[in-house]
Amino acid sequence: MSKGKEEMRTALARLSFSEKIRILEKLRDRDKAIAASGLRRTASGKKTKSHDE
Amino acid sequence: MQADGVISHYAIGGAVGATFYLEPAATLDVDVFVLLTHEHGGLVSLSPIYEYLKARGGIEDREHIVLGDWPVQFLVPGSELEREAVAASIPVDLEGVMTWVMLPEHLVAIALCTGRGKDYIRVLQFIKEKAVDETMLRTILQKHGLLSKWEQFERKYLGEGI
Repeated sequence: MSKGKEEMRTALARLSFSEKIRILEKLRDRDKAIAASGLRRTASGKKTKSHDE
Repeated sequence: MQADGVISHYAIGGAVGATFYLEPAATLDVDVFVLLTHEHGGLVSLSPIYEYLKARGGIEDREHIVLGDWPVQFLVPGSELEREAVAASIPVDLEGVMTWVMLPEHLVAIALCTGRGKDYIRVLQFIKEKAVDETMLRTILQKHGLLSKWEQFERKYLGEGI
């Protein structure tokens, strides 16, 4: 792993729990948006259906 | 819930618990392990928790209760390791609210026990980031009969061990 990545990881690990939770919320929302868009591909190469379908 | 006697103690585990010690890793829900105040005849019911939280705006969604924007899964410890992890959890201030998070050594032991791919990745993160006390981890693993599983994990993923 490059030094830059390591430093980034260390910096992220040192954030306060509140700041980390805010990042988790953004990651979760992004994940939900990707899942809902139907763009995520399965191992078989097929696109997943959105939750609304 | 503690103050109102619904549960006696709780601790955040899983990916959110691990995030207290590591870099944030994407997760869709929060795992909360609870020690219940009342268990009748060995039967364990999470209904009091669900009813309590639904009366305060929580929304039931399959195995979760959605609180704010977070789906929360309440889990009753299913092993002595998980019970010990809740009891030994540490208080953490989260934006002025005191909450409880499992110790890193317990999170690693539980992840090892659960044994899915994402659990092993989390264990590796803890080791790589030197976020666990090795002596304490070995003591916990030995106490709960996980040393041989750990040694297998070490051989497969850590090479020379920790």
